[in-house]
Amino acid sequence: MVDTTRLELANEFLDALEDGDNDHADEVLAAIAAERESRLFEEIGKLTRQLHDSLSNVEAGSELAGIAENQIPDAKERLNFVIEKTENAANRTMDSVEEILPVSETIRTRAAQLEEDWSRFQRREMDVTEFKKMGDELVDFLGELRTNSDKIHSGLNNILMAQDFQDITGQVIRQVITVVQNVEESLVDLVRKTGVQVVPKKQVDLIEAEGPQMNAESKDHVVNGQDDVDDLLSSLGF
Amino acid sequence: MNKDMKILIVDDFSTMRRIIKNLLRDLGFTNTDEADDGQTALPKLEAGDFDFLVTDWNMPGMQGIDLLKAVRADPNLKDLPVLMVTAESKREQIVEAAQAGVNGYVVKPFTAATLKEKIDKIFERIETPA
Repeated sequence: MVDTTRLELANEFLDALEDGDNDHADEVLAAIAAERESRLFEEIGKLTRQLHDSLSNVEAGSELAGIAENQIPDAKERLNFVIEKTENAANRTMDSVEEILPVSETIRTRAAQLEEDWSRFQRREMDVTEFKKMGDELVDFLGELRTNSDKIHSGLNNILMAQDFQDITGQVIRQVITVVQNVEESLVDLVRKTGVQVVPKKQVDLIEAEGPQMNAESKDHVVNGQDDVDDLLSSLGF
Repeated sequence: MNKDMKILIVDDFSTMRRIIKNLLRDLGFTNTDEADDGQTALPKLEAGDFDFLVTDWNMPGMQGIDLLKAVRADPNLKDLPVLMVTAESKREQIVEAAQAGVNGYVVKPFTAATLKEKIDKIFERIETPA
């Protein structure tokens, strides 16, 4: 490619020399040098920009590396803690329920028995011995009822206390959300700086297990509760 | 419906197995056993005389849908009633389970009433064939 600017300058330089105009020849020579210099600066500018970009990428990369090295294992630990806490709470609750259920069953059975006895007494179907026996049983039952009420009370308190997991796990999950946000921001930043093409989202596998669905109401391919399941199954002839 | 029937509960979370076990006991079914995924459930089903299978879908090892298919493919187990109790709620999954021969499908979170209703329905159909 013919460099017209420099060619013109060179011709001008030769003309000046031929004319014996040394001052002008020097001026033209300086112009050629200046033009060369400006190209050099332009190149240096480009290189600097590239260097800057590379450095920024490394920076974003190292940020990600930091997250991968520290925050992610930390987040995993925190989520495991959440599983542990919720599992403990569920078990504590069920321990109490399993203690209370037979107590309430005993109360129900004995109350039903006494109710029946009382009806028999009212219908005058009970002799004095039986009546005295019922009186003793009634006293027994009332004493038992007091102890059993205490058992139920303490069981319910245990269930109440087991709910403290909500506060603790809520805080921990919030911390993990922050980590996820940081990762997301760094990744978006990296993608932006490297200009990597974002691969279109792969299609959802409609059979693959995914666990609980978030925002089920806004997803057409997901049922929204048991009624939807029943409707779908009955449409299939179930 | 026979209250003494032997029921296998399959779920990878022990708390969910415990909930289902308690609910079943409340309904009068006390003869239950547990497994934590399809792989541990299948040998139990093959060895024991189970009358009913309640299984989750999403489990490590062998998933519930594959357990269902394995049960239907086994000549000795093919008629075993299977109730799926799962958080999996994609329409295609429910269709898949229905095609694989599930007898009932309950989505988590569920209520004691729903569980009872589905179990009643399953055995009603078995006891009064069309």
